[in-house]
Amino acid sequence: MSKFSETQLAEVKRLVARYPEGKQKSALLPVLHLAQDSFGGWLSTETMDYVAELLNITPIEVYEVATFYSMYNLKPVGKYLFEVCQTGPCMLLGSDDIVAYIGEKLGIKPGETTADGLFTLKTVECLGACGYAPMMQLGKHYREHLTKEKVDAIIAECTKNAAANN
Amino acid sequence: MGVKLLLEKAHVQGIRSYEVYRREGGYRSVEKALKTMGPEAIVEEVKKSGLRGRGGAGFPAGMKWSFIAKPEGVPRHLVCNADESEPGTFKDRYLMENIPHLLIEGLIVASFALGSNDTYIYIRGEYAWIVDILEQAIGEAKANGFLGKNILGTGFDCEIHVQRGAGAYICGEETALIESLEGKRGNPRIKPPFPAVQGVWMRPTVVNNVETLSAVVPIINLGGEEYAKIGVGKSTGTKLISACGNINKPGVYEIDMTISVEEFIYSDEYCGGIAKGKRLKACVPGGSSVPILPANLLLKTAKGETRYMNYESLSDGGFATGSMMGSGGFIVLDEDQCVVKHTYTFARFYRHESCGQCSPCREGTGWMEKLLLRLEKGQGKSSDIDLLWDIQRKIEGNTICPLGDAAAWPVAAAIRHFRDEFEWHVSHPEEAQKRNFGLAHYADPIHIPVG
Repeated sequence: MSKFSETQLAEVKRLVARYPEGKQKSALLPVLHLAQDSFGGWLSTETMDYVAELLNITPIEVYEVATFYSMYNLKPVGKYLFEVCQTGPCMLLGSDDIVAYIGEKLGIKPGETTADGLFTLKTVECLGACGYAPMMQLGKHYREHLTKEKVDAIIAECTKNAAANN
Repeated sequence: MGVKLLLEKAHVQGIRSYEVYRREGGYRSVEKALKTMGPEAIVEEVKKSGLRGRGGAGFPAGMKWSFIAKPEGVPRHLVCNADESEPGTFKDRYLMENIPHLLIEGLIVASFALGSNDTYIYIRGEYAWIVDILEQAIGEAKANGFLGKNILGTGFDCEIHVQRGAGAYICGEETALIESLEGKRGNPRIKPPFPAVQGVWMRPTVVNNVETLSAVVPIINLGGEEYAKIGVGKSTGTKLISACGNINKPGVYEIDMTISVEEFIYSDEYCGGIAKGKRLKACVPGGSSVPILPANLLLKTAKGETRYMNYESLSDGGFATGSMMGSGGFIVLDEDQCVVKHTYTFARFYRHESCGQCSPCREGTGWMEKLLLRLEKGQGKSSDIDLLWDIQRKIEGNTICPLGDAAAWPVAAAIRHFRDEFEWHVSHPEEAQKRNFGLAHYADPIHIPVG
C-alpha cells in the first residue's frame, strides 16, 4: 500500500497545525486532496483507512466525507480527467455539443475512461467560469471558451505529454 | 464611467504583487484601522456604510459583526466564504485572481474588528490555482508585517489560513461551510445557535463573502458615511456583477447600483448588447436561485417604471413580477434559448447539490429534475406542469437551509412567466426538439442600444 513520503508527512503536519489542538479532523479535506494527488488520482479504501489513521479519526469519518464531495474519485480515473461543465450558463453557449464532441473523439460516454487509461470524461455542475463558457477543468486549471478546435488541441497536447512521460 | 472601489486598481500591471499593490495605496486601511481606530469603531463604520452581504442574502454586514458573542477566554474566528458556486457567479474568483491583496487587506481589518487571531479562507476546491495566488499574497503580507505577531506594533496577532473545499455547492451556506471546515460532510446546521454564538469548533464565528470583506477596505479608507453616499437607498456602495450567457461582453463589472438594467445589458461599457444581433428573451439577474424574468419585466417593473440594478429595484414586485439581486450572477438568454431546458439544467444542479438531510429537498429536487427532463424531451403531459408547481411549493420553506428554496424558486418563476412555453412542449413534442417557442411573446421590443 502507498504511504506518504517524508515531505508529504511534513505537509500533513503543517495542515494539522492550522487548527486548534485536538481539532486535527479539520485537516481531512486538504489531506484527502493530497492523498488523491499522490496516489493515482483516486481514493481507495486502503488510502482512506491510512488517512484515518494519520489523523487519528475512525475510517467511517473519512468515508462519509469522501463520498459527499464531488472532487474525490472513489474509483480509478484516466491520467487526464476532462470535467466539462453543463449547467445553465455553459449550456446556453453550447456545452452539450462540447460534451458530445469529446465523447465522439475519444469513443467514450460521460463517466467512462478510454481503454488505454489516458482519458476520463465527466460532466460536472457549475465551476464558476460562466463568463468564459463553455469550459472544463483539467487537473489544477480551467480550459475556457472551448471550441471543437480547442478540444482537438487539448487532446493532442495530453496525448503528446503522455507519450513524452513514458 | 461609474465609481470603482474594488476594481479601480485591478488592472494595474503587477497588482498581484505586494510591492505594486502597496505603491498603489494598498494596506492604508490596515494602518488606519489598527493604529487609530478600536474594534468597536470599525464595526460602527461598517454599520454606517450600509454594506450588505455580497454573497446573495444581502444581510447588513455591520449588524452581523455586532452579533458576535464575546465570552471570556473563548477564541473567535472570522471565516471568509470563497466557496463561490452559484451558477452565473464568478466575481469572487475575479477579485481573488486579479487583486488578491485587497481581500487579504479587508480580512486583516475585519479580523482585528472581530478579534480573530486565526482567520480562514474557505475556497471552493476547484479554484485550486487561486489557492496559490492567495498563499503568495498572505506570505508577502506577513513578510511586510501586516500579518503574524504584533502587527504594526499594536499587539494584535493574526494568521490567515486557506482551506480548500472539495466540490459541494452547499458549503456556500455558512453552517455547512463551518461543518466542512471541521472536516465533515457539508450538512447545514439547525439554527439557533447561530454561528455568531457557536460557529466553527463551537466558537463565536463570523462568515462573510469575499466581496463583502474586500469592501471593508474602501469603507475604512473613505469612512462609512462617504461610502453610503455611493449608490441609492439601501443599496449602498458598489456591487460586482458577473455577466454571462448570450451577451457580447461577458465578464465582471463593478456598478454603483444607480444604472438601469437596460443600460447594463445594452451599453458598451457593460454587456454590450445581445450576441449575434439576437433579441433578449429572458434573464436570471442574480444567480441561479433567483426568479427568471421575461424581457418586458426585466427592463421595466410591472408598473412600467425603469428597473435598476440594485437590491430594491430588482426585487420590485416581489416574486410575482420581480426577482432579486442575489449574488450578482447575471445570466442572459437570447431569443433562441429554451426556458424549459435552461430550468432543467438548474433543477439537475440542485438535485446534484442537495445534501440530502431534508426529505422535501432530497426527494423534491430529484422529482423536479425528472419532470423537467420529460417535458423538455417532449414526453411530458400537461398535468406534469401542475405536478411540478405542486412539488416546488412543497419544498419551499420546509428545509433546514435555503437550498430548498433556491431549488424551488427558479422552477416556480419559469412556470409563472413561461407557462405557455411548457404547454407548447407538451402539444408540439417533435417541434420542441427543433426550435424554441415564444419569441413574439417574450422577446425584448427595445433592442436598440441605449446611449
